[in-house]
Amino acid sequence: MKAKGRVATKRGGAAFRRPGGARFEERFLESFSNADGPSGWEAPVRELVVEAVRDHVDELSVDAMGNLVAHVSPARGGAKAARGKRGRGPHVMLCAHMDEVGFMVTAVEKDGRLRIRKVGGIDPRILLGQVVRVGTNGARGVVGVLPAHLLTNADMTKVTPIEDLFLDIGASSREEALQAISLGDLVAFDTTYEAWGTVRKGKAFDDRVGCAVLASLVQRRPPVPLTAVWAVQEEIGLRGAAAAARRVSPDLAIVLEGTASGETPGASPEEMQPRMGGGPTLTVQDRSLMADARLVELLERTAKRWKIPTQWKRPGVGGTDAGRIALSGAGVPAAVVSVACRYIHAPAAYLDIRDPQRVVDLVWHALGAIGKEWT
Amino acid sequence: MTSRASRASRASRVSAVESILKALVPAYGPPGREIGVRAALRASLRGHGRLREDALGSLHLHLPGRGPRLLLAAAMDAPGLIVTRVESNGNARVELLGGRSAAEAVGAMALFPDGDRALVAYDRVAAGKDGGGVEASSLYLLTGLDKATATKRFPVGSVGMFESKLDRLGDQWRAPSLDNRAGAAAVAAALRQAKRRAYDLHVVFAAQSELGSRGALTSAFGVEPELAVVVEVAHVGDGKDQSPVTLGEGPCVGLKEFGYVAHPRGLELARKAAKAARVPIQYLVREEGSTDAGAVRRAGAGVPTVLIAIPARRSGGPDTLVHARDLKRTVDLVASLLATPAASPPARRAKAPKRGGKR
Repeated sequence: MKAKGRVATKRGGAAFRRPGGARFEERFLESFSNADGPSGWEAPVRELVVEAVRDHVDELSVDAMGNLVAHVSPARGGAKAARGKRGRGPHVMLCAHMDEVGFMVTAVEKDGRLRIRKVGGIDPRILLGQVVRVGTNGARGVVGVLPAHLLTNADMTKVTPIEDLFLDIGASSREEALQAISLGDLVAFDTTYEAWGTVRKGKAFDDRVGCAVLASLVQRRPPVPLTAVWAVQEEIGLRGAAAAARRVSPDLAIVLEGTASGETPGASPEEMQPRMGGGPTLTVQDRSLMADARLVELLERTAKRWKIPTQWKRPGVGGTDAGRIALSGAGVPAAVVSVACRYIHAPAAYLDIRDPQRVVDLVWHALGAIGKEWT
Repeated sequence: MTSRASRASRASRVSAVESILKALVPAYGPPGREIGVRAALRASLRGHGRLREDALGSLHLHLPGRGPRLLLAAAMDAPGLIVTRVESNGNARVELLGGRSAAEAVGAMALFPDGDRALVAYDRVAAGKDGGGVEASSLYLLTGLDKATATKRFPVGSVGMFESKLDRLGDQWRAPSLDNRAGAAAVAAALRQAKRRAYDLHVVFAAQSELGSRGALTSAFGVEPELAVVVEVAHVGDGKDQSPVTLGEGPCVGLKEFGYVAHPRGLELARKAAKAARVPIQYLVREEGSTDAGAVRRAGAGVPTVLIAIPARRSGGPDTLVHARDLKRTVDLVASLLATPAASPPARRAKAPKRGGKR
């Protein structure tokens, strides 16, 4: 016990003296965001994450559901690394989900148009005319829309439900369509990552930004035994993380997320929380979770100590993998740290590139504090 | 035991559960922040053994003994609310935590851990003057403070509980937090009362019950009981599809509710224990409404679970009514359950030789 405490303090201390701790790698965000991974088909994203982290972790595996699980021991490499993930200090699980919201091809009409249904929560108002990528063979399509002069006034103001939309991949018959795509193919928005000023534009920042934060964090050996999980199927019911948490069985967990900014034109300043560029967003409570009060307090305190601005996610809305992790096994203290993004679950989202670096800083220093004081 | 002695001992028991209930009812303990009620339970159970708090905030007490591993569980949290933002006029917007409707929250006093209080009001423009359209989004807290002070005293994420005081109305107890402080008090009193125990007993006062039996689920997974008894308060008498349950006619044994169906062996045990303690019982059958029993029932590989429900009337608004006689008899029934051995071997033990035979 004594030795454990001493080592943890020493490691924590070393980390604390090094400003920044770990660096956020924007190249990860760019490549992860550009890859497609609607829930259930996360393989393209997973391959990129494997590429990014394989040389920096002790153990890397993909479980039956498709979660990518990496263990990183706090040892400084060499023989000490073999001492195992539970060697010293509390065993922390960090989790980000790889999947994004999208669609699935459910039918092909005789005339070659595709019928789709949504995978995860998507607002039908944002879909008409969108360019999308279909399946894995490079097919592209447009969500079909009639020109305005062919519509009645009533139709002009109506939101078309997703079941009534069709996807046009330029095929003129069912046979032609099926040469390019298959039934059950997943559909993602055709959006390319771009940067201007501190703004970054891209798709699936929920939760590729979390994936990139986590990949950045494991580039260095953490101050505590760490299991990093890139989870699948979050958007369709927090499924992957539930299975991963049962296997990892951590002492505590922090989920890294991209969350919705509250910036709404016309709203009062009090309502506009959290804001893009306002620093890491902390969760007290959402529909899935009462965040562990002690862990939230530790995160708040760590942020204050390292002068990292933080903000609060509006309580009562949304849900994340943390809710399922908290209820796994005999219960796990869990918290969420997010990057506030505008226009999540839409074709293109915005984030402020300073935010993910602050999340990396906060989580890195929090791991140090956890190693020192968590029992 | 002479009848006079018996009467005297019964009287002292009543006061035991009453005094525990008096301590538990006002204790601060909204879901996920069961700080005050944990402290009150620790005080009530002083001398029974070491109490442990788990990852979700549930309170555990292990009383080792011979016999099957029995989980005795009662939820300890009470409905509350959480501050989502403080507005420029010093009022705070909130979301509800747990099973109270927005309309029922109006007019309640919210109590915060440092003793701060605020009144739940509703937005008359959004909800209509008669309050017919009250929704969670139209609720706010009147803090009586200016914005700067309110922001300090009720920052985003502050969790409040509906202020609760034990009151007597005729033969019944009345308080906002009776669900499930009455169940928790019955369990604590039964532990004091039970002279003999036929089980290796794990007592759990479950946290976050109001948010979907979260504490009960994880606690039951951790304890891995062979048999479980869940003590809860069940609101009866308001719906059409409910079994005829009368307040004052004895505790209910749960047969069916949303997400739960009784285990035959558990049912048999409950009946046996009730007979031994001479406690009249009623049966709870309802389509809607649920307790922690369902979560315990399906925890881990599944647990044969007995649901003991104290019948209660939700009188509208923040009050719940429980008959004093039912509370006392629930204590008797639970104490008797602890002393009554399970009739046949519990499920897992019964299964083991069967499986061996197949191989």
